[in-house]
Amino acid sequence: MPPRVEIGLPSIYSNYQGFITLVGLAERISALQYSPIVLDLSTTYWLDANMCAPLGAILYHASRRLNQVVFINIPAPVQKILQKNGFLSYYGHEKALDEWGTTIQYNRFERKDDRYFGAYIERHFKTKAIPKMSPALCKKFWESIFELFSNAVIHSETEMGIFTCGQYFPRRDRINFAIADLGIGIRSNLLKKRRLDLSAEEAINWAMEGRNTTKTGSIPGGLGLKLLREFIKLNQGSIQVVSDTGYWGQRVDGTLDKRLLPHSFPGTVVNIEINTADTDSYTLSSESSHDIF
Amino acid sequence: MSEPITLRVYEVVGSSLCVASGDGQKVFEQIQQALKDGKKVRLSFQNVESLTSAFLNAAVGQLYGIFPHELLKESLSLQDMEQNDQVLLKRVIDTAKQYFQDPNVIDAARRAALGDEDE
Repeated sequence: MPPRVEIGLPSIYSNYQGFITLVGLAERISALQYSPIVLDLSTTYWLDANMCAPLGAILYHASRRLNQVVFINIPAPVQKILQKNGFLSYYGHEKALDEWGTTIQYNRFERKDDRYFGAYIERHFKTKAIPKMSPALCKKFWESIFELFSNAVIHSETEMGIFTCGQYFPRRDRINFAIADLGIGIRSNLLKKRRLDLSAEEAINWAMEGRNTTKTGSIPGGLGLKLLREFIKLNQGSIQVVSDTGYWGQRVDGTLDKRLLPHSFPGTVVNIEINTADTDSYTLSSESSHDIF
Repeated sequence: MSEPITLRVYEVVGSSLCVASGDGQKVFEQIQQALKDGKKVRLSFQNVESLTSAFLNAAVGQLYGIFPHELLKESLSLQDMEQNDQVLLKRVIDTAKQYFQDPNVIDAARRAALGDEDE
């Protein structure tokens, strides 16, 4: 039996440092097989619930190599949120009631699960009636999430699934939502489909710009991530994309943050933060929709 | 001049969430068939709540790799589509027109339409 591997995790926020922690974990466990992996959360005083998506992806990757993951010393507030959003149910814990309806459940989907994903989104946003979000904003938010899911389905080539999780913060008027896949990653995709050899963070930047697409087949593409980026900027929200060793962020003020991570994420993560107090109608009435065809 | 046939997107997809590329493909196949048969098509988006570029790329965007643009302009029309969704569709079509300017891409699209292997 391989020796037990014990790893302590600090607090994990949706930022560059948070992703450094996650890719460090991915690197540490990447070669393990049949190992008991013990994640000690005694110094994890906070864990942004949406970061369960990339964390879950990393741990699923490890569990496919028949490692057994166990969490210990989880501080009560962190344990509560991770039980409410269903994350800890994958690791032997009971599920807790989400009495305030502020969690968006942790879930793993197959690429063919788009209908099931649609039902998941409806369940969370129709039945829970998240306050303060105008109907126009709600529609844009849903569509952004669907664009992200479609993007992962079309581009990731993942055989290990797509992981999602989110959290609503009523007092901050924010929703955070993350989608992670265990696919080929943007840099490798660009190299394979376009023979463009860019650094990991520049590869993400390429995918977020203009009409760039790695699509080569009969169905055009190259719009989903740009639409998302435009919407988030108008909404004064933020986005982070992590793929391979690349980190790309668009801050609330629209400025960019492109950096390399010390280790690789085994796929791609897109994390968005939405300003739910936004009252913009998103009618885009200045844009002409005449002469469409 | 013949009246256009009405293609109800909600009916073809079976859901108000028109977001998946695979569902867009179903709509595409019906439009393609009608256009090949010389029909005009009115696309009805009644009861459609959410649309994505991925869906519209598959449903409408890929038509621009197969049919002459003038034919599509004359043959396609819209019904019950929200203004915002019309703006999205226009962007999808503009992107598709640009995408299909590459002759290699056009060849691939036409081969796919004829049933050859394509991505």
